[in-house]
Amino acid sequence: MTALELISLINQVLFIGLFVVVLRRALRDRTAMSFNAALLFGAIAGTVVLARVADWLGVSGQAGVTAVTLILLTAAPFAMLRLVDDFSGTPRWVQIAGGAAFVGVSVLATLGFERMEQLVEIIIIVFFVAVGGFAAYAFARESRRSRGITRRRMMAVSIGAGLFIAAVVLVLLAALLPVPAPGLGIVGQVLALTAVTAFYFGFVPPTWMRRAWREPDLRGFLERSIHLTSVPDDRAAILELQGAVANAFGASGAAVGIANADGTVLRYADAGEWVEFPADAFIAGRAFQQQRRVVAIDAATTDPDNADTYAASNAQTVISAPITTDDRRIGVLSIFAERAPVFIEDDLWLLELLADQTAVLLEARTLTAHASELRAREDAAYLKEEFLSAAAHDLRTPLTVVLGQAELMERRLARDPYAPVDPAGVARMVREARRLRDLVTELLDAQRLEQGQILMDRVPDDLCAIVEVVRARHGERGITIPLTRPDEPLVGLVDRPRMEQVLENLIDNAMKYGEQPPRLEIGATGDEVRIAVIDRGVGIPEEERDRIFERFFRASNVQSVTDTGLGLGLHICRRIVAEHGGRIWHEPTPEGGSTFVVALKLEIPLIPAPDADSVPAWPSASGAGSLVDA
Amino acid sequence: MPDIRILVVDDEPDIRATVSAMLEIEGYDVAEAPDGAAALAAIEQRRPDIILLDMRMPILDGWGFAAELRRRGHQTPIVVMTAARDAARWAGDIAAAAFVAKPFGYDDLISAVESARPPS
Repeated sequence: MTALELISLINQVLFIGLFVVVLRRALRDRTAMSFNAALLFGAIAGTVVLARVADWLGVSGQAGVTAVTLILLTAAPFAMLRLVDDFSGTPRWVQIAGGAAFVGVSVLATLGFERMEQLVEIIIIVFFVAVGGFAAYAFARESRRSRGITRRRMMAVSIGAGLFIAAVVLVLLAALLPVPAPGLGIVGQVLALTAVTAFYFGFVPPTWMRRAWREPDLRGFLERSIHLTSVPDDRAAILELQGAVANAFGASGAAVGIANADGTVLRYADAGEWVEFPADAFIAGRAFQQQRRVVAIDAATTDPDNADTYAASNAQTVISAPITTDDRRIGVLSIFAERAPVFIEDDLWLLELLADQTAVLLEARTLTAHASELRAREDAAYLKEEFLSAAAHDLRTPLTVVLGQAELMERRLARDPYAPVDPAGVARMVREARRLRDLVTELLDAQRLEQGQILMDRVPDDLCAIVEVVRARHGERGITIPLTRPDEPLVGLVDRPRMEQVLENLIDNAMKYGEQPPRLEIGATGDEVRIAVIDRGVGIPEEERDRIFERFFRASNVQSVTDTGLGLGLHICRRIVAEHGGRIWHEPTPEGGSTFVVALKLEIPLIPAPDADSVPAWPSASGAGSLVDA
Repeated sequence: MPDIRILVVDDEPDIRATVSAMLEIEGYDVAEAPDGAAALAAIEQRRPDIILLDMRMPILDGWGFAAELRRRGHQTPIVVMTAARDAARWAGDIAAAAFVAKPFGYDDLISAVESARPPS
């Protein structure tokens, strides 16, 4: 046996084997695509078998045998054309023209081969090049349009088709030549061997090859989704997960439905909010209820009630698989495809794999959430401990003075009822009692803060007026605070007592560490109202500026100042301002000292009233007449 | 007891004043210092019989002061007065004669001082 004969034999065995496998699948799946694939390889295998049998019977070369061989052979490009239609659709005329050409060539081969052998061969070559070439090109185009395994399988089919056509054309050409050309025969057989290998990869890829082809998509999915375990917002995480799934499939979209505790409702993430549906709604609902994958090649037909929804999502085909761990039904994963998948078994495989990965990710998210909740609880407990300890310490000192002075007074009076009052002792008592009161207030504020009850109702209010009130309160105690303000009101949505508390706190801090009253400035910057409390005190070391709003933090350069609070004041300020949707920050005063700025959203910009008297006084409700919409 | 001299060391002026007033009514001879460093200077001048010592102070704290005091060879008994929960442990740290935890009243202070008073 020569090498050529050996390759030829291998080719023949492989094509017959491929036919058997594809035929079995066609009988099982009963889809047009699988029958056309069986037709393709049946034609080729038939040609091979016929040649062998004719050889064996000694009838090869007889007219009838040649005619049947040629008809079988030309059936192959015709089958490819049918496959193109199955994969990507072709205009109807292409199929009609292809069919007509096939019939024409068959008739010619049966009736005219004896008389015009060369002409028939040339016509067959043209038929092969035209129809087969078109099919190979169409497969390649479909491959480029697809992703993942489909892309690679389709490329293999395209290569197989192209090489097979080339091999047949070479053999036919060799027969046309006046002199024998064994080289062409060898090249033809090698091409055929490559073609049959490519067909195997395209139509019945081995598992290891599918795994290798699937790997980049899977890796892409994992790379995109692994960080989702720590994305705090559930909805954002689900939306990203859907993006990763759709991307892995090259599908137009994906949806992850999350079941509630008793599995009666599936919750979907929409761009702006969660949307809930009964657990049996949509094709996804069927997959969830029945705990099995559901394929709806034509979603509108499978679930006509929701045809509009599928149309709106560009979902011709919907494939859904349940997301389930061993003991928990988490939800359901669906992909939407604009066209029916070509190799649906691969898509199902990937979908189930991704559903499993999604289950793992969602479980990990739940665990992460549990863990951080636990940590937060521990942190809270620790802080509470810390807080009580700090608070207790700070309360004891003033309490010692108040108690001590009171007992001293008691003793003095016991010894001499007419003993003169000790003014310094009384002053100490009053001072420390006040300090005690401030600490207790701070503690109670902090307590409320921890329970998240700090903010009451926010109503439109003039911030200039609030600043004036706080300033006037200090004025009553003989403390003059310079203020720079615009003439018109600056309105924000404010919980007034709380905002006053913030300003009082900032002013007290400035007095404590600046030893003289601060300057106040209020004005509008863009759509913000900014209130600045500017002192010329000790300032804050640069490296500590970020930390001064932390709970219990006290700047290192004020530790020695005896009359410090709990280190909660700025923390409370920040919390109140944050609950107003605003910002608070520190910047150094250029001439030395600290400037604290509170910025709140300017709710309703005012146009200056043309005549102040004609406008109702702010903030009466009827004042809205002087407002314009933002 | 005019012969018993006490040094009150605390960074809180109101505490110093209150404690001093209580001790003076009881007849002790009282001096004050706002931190450990000032207290060390006062020791050399006044030679107190008892030291009432706050622990957390700026410049030189109670531990630093006690260590330096002993290093200089003074055996003056110390009464720790602190607002911390660890008053007893801190008193142990520096081998204090007694401790009094803030907030303390008149009687707590006097009995702590009496218990630390060296036998005359």
